[in-house]
Amino acid sequence: MGLYEISLATGVGIYIILAVSLNLITGYCGQISLGHAAFYGIGAYTVALLSKMGWPMYLTLGAGFLVAGIIGTIIGLASLRVKEDFLAIVTMGVAFLFVGIVRQQEFLGGEMGISGIPSHGMSKPGYLALVCGFAILSILFSWYLKRSWMGFAFDAVADDEKTARVLGLDIKAYKLTAFAMGTAIAGLAGGLYAYYTRFIVPDTFGFIESVTILSMVAVGGIGSIFGVVIATILLVLMPEFFRFINDYRLLLYGVLLFSVMRFAPQGLAGFFSYLVKRKEG
Amino acid sequence: MLFIELFIQGLIQGSTYAIIAVGLTLVYGLLRVLHVAHAGLFTLGAYLGVAVTNQTGSLSLGILVAALAAGIVGMGIYRLVYEPMLNKPPYVALIASIGLYIGMEELFRLVFGPFGLSFSSAPLQTVVVVFGIHLRACQIIAVVTNVVLLGGLAWVAQKTRIGTGWRATVDDPQMSACFGIDPIKVRYRVFFAGSALAAVAGVLVALLTNLVEPTMGAVPSYKSLAIIVLGGLGNVMGTLIASLILGIIEAFGTIYIGDFLDRDAIAFAFLIIVLMIKPTGLFTSR
Amino acid sequence: MSAILLAKSVTVKFGGVTALDNVHMEVEEGEFLSLIGPNGAGKTTLLNTITGVVTPVTAALSLGGKDITHLSTHHRIKLGLALTHQIVRPFQSMTVQENVAFAAGYKKVRNILSSFTSVSRAPEMKKAMEFLHMLGIEQYKDQEVSKLPLGVLKRLEVARALAIEPKILLLDEPLAGLNSQEAGKLADTVKSISQKGMTIVMIEHNLSEVLRISDRLHVLDNGRNLAQGEPAAVMNQPEVRAAYLGS
Repeated sequence: MGLYEISLATGVGIYIILAVSLNLITGYCGQISLGHAAFYGIGAYTVALLSKMGWPMYLTLGAGFLVAGIIGTIIGLASLRVKEDFLAIVTMGVAFLFVGIVRQQEFLGGEMGISGIPSHGMSKPGYLALVCGFAILSILFSWYLKRSWMGFAFDAVADDEKTARVLGLDIKAYKLTAFAMGTAIAGLAGGLYAYYTRFIVPDTFGFIESVTILSMVAVGGIGSIFGVVIATILLVLMPEFFRFINDYRLLLYGVLLFSVMRFAPQGLAGFFSYLVKRKEG
Repeated sequence: MLFIELFIQGLIQGSTYAIIAVGLTLVYGLLRVLHVAHAGLFTLGAYLGVAVTNQTGSLSLGILVAALAAGIVGMGIYRLVYEPMLNKPPYVALIASIGLYIGMEELFRLVFGPFGLSFSSAPLQTVVVVFGIHLRACQIIAVVTNVVLLGGLAWVAQKTRIGTGWRATVDDPQMSACFGIDPIKVRYRVFFAGSALAAVAGVLVALLTNLVEPTMGAVPSYKSLAIIVLGGLGNVMGTLIASLILGIIEAFGTIYIGDFLDRDAIAFAFLIIVLMIKPTGLFTSR
Repeated sequence: MSAILLAKSVTVKFGGVTALDNVHMEVEEGEFLSLIGPNGAGKTTLLNTITGVVTPVTAALSLGGKDITHLSTHHRIKLGLALTHQIVRPFQSMTVQENVAFAAGYKKVRNILSSFTSVSRAPEMKKAMEFLHMLGIEQYKDQEVSKLPLGVLKRLEVARALAIEPKILLLDEPLAGLNSQEAGKLADTVKSISQKGMTIVMIEHNLSEVLRISDRLHVLDNGRNLAQGEPAAVMNQPEVRAAYLGS
């Protein structure tokens, strides 16, 4: 594997962790978050700052995970107070606020971001292995969650929250838990990204990025781990394959998003199970 | 003096937001869908308005063509995008709308080029002094146009059969159908009107900034979403008031808290603060 | 016999409309109480106030001696309430058996940690079969709920509510929409559940079934208490007849 391929694969791995983490919130608990990239950013900035202060990688990554999760919980608490319809827009607000605030803070590097983030100290293939390791961990975690009673509860909340409440489920606690877990894992992805690029700017973590992550989950099929992973790989690699029509990349991307929602809203997962059903029946 | 000037600037900006947000809130009221692609019609209007004005020398013609074209495209969007998705979960329409907007942005870039379009000779740029404040003619025209359009819309909504039909359908589609109001026709009309208004806003903004570029719809679109939540989803009056308040807050905010917070994030900061205090928004939704 | 559920001074307003005006209701342990009254009397509102879905202007509510007036809905459910809806609300993403099994696992989802550490669903799926059997719908266990007839779904509502092992079962028009044969059968099933010792509060319009199976009646009219007591005696009261038939 050449350096370029390793670099690409590392990027894919980080996005898989991100998409899987959003799937926890949106797919499992049914809450549409348009601000997920903010937590990606919180993780990245936490790691950037701490590593420049000399902290070792395992501590900085842990801190990125925790800080993103804690802030995610606070924001989750706040967003629970508003009506369901508002949630998408409030999370969008979070995306803009993150960028808007970070851009103005000197100690966070302002518009220019933070550069000179220390190296992770591993070889490039070694780091790829680390990222893949975390990606696999998050996939396994999601898979376990789905099978557990917490996943069963998430299904109920996503299906019909009022009925779940009347069966004795503490809806707020479950939504908050989904939020905390999803944002913490996104923070981890952010930390891995910081070591990968060694240079971060606020605009990377804005609304557009949040939509990008959401579209990976939507194209994959909200709630389906398998679908989301495949969709992420495809969507991250797609611009690389379509280099030759570089100019039309974004247009194709928009068309893809639209088409999937229009013609196959269950995403890849739905399409796949449709094929399976056709074979059987 | 600065205070009044900022206030007026805020009103001008706010009235532009209002024209854009009104279409958005009506669509939400009808379909419970966040019509993100609405911003694309804003940009379309700006491009067409400038292009036609440059070709024919007539601004009025430019505005007319922009409004009509956008209205038709808007109706097309309803038919091809939202109607087939009505019984799906809300995120489907939302993401489709986002995809559509991205596609539109790119189409504008590919057709008109990335560097933007300007008036060959921008009309209404003469400076007028009103109560000691220097305003360009286009700024005054913008406010007046917005007031007239919104007033017209309010009049139609309150006083005409068509308008009553809109309001009834927003409140209770099935009941209004029982009274012979065709909800489908109402939807087409709402999309036409909302899109036409967005297009006019686009031309007005083009007049104010003399630059039309593919991504110009993004920022107003985001802010409009915050505005319609503040104003109460589906509540036209509330949206209007929220737009004006936001315009004023932005005007003052940029000066006073610009060190802490980016201008464009002010809308969302305001939104989140309001929602924390009053989770139902400034006004109630319909 | 002690009162297991007490609702006192319940006043509920929706905007300018007073849905309930100083209503009192007592439910004895183990009894089968039917809550009746003309349309719009406030019966569903009263049940919703008890479960906490609706917030009253004033109320004093207690369950098993414990004051539940200021508790959230899921807290009250945990203390022993169960509710079935007038318009059935099965989980669309689950099969019949899964619907009941989820409810049966109520202990596991009571707190976040235990829900995270519990994986096995087999015992609950088994328990679900008991409830499905009790309601006579075990043959539908693997069916998707979207295609099932109303009679089955109504029974599913009850089975699911029973699966959380409540102290009191609140039924909101369980017989509505069923033909007379189905209604009679479901009424018998509900009666047998009552005879096993479950306290039941049932809202129903189907008066013939109500009179057949209830221990006691509680009548509401226009948001106010109208009468309560033994079925025959209550139905003989002129105010009650007037409320239903209009005079």
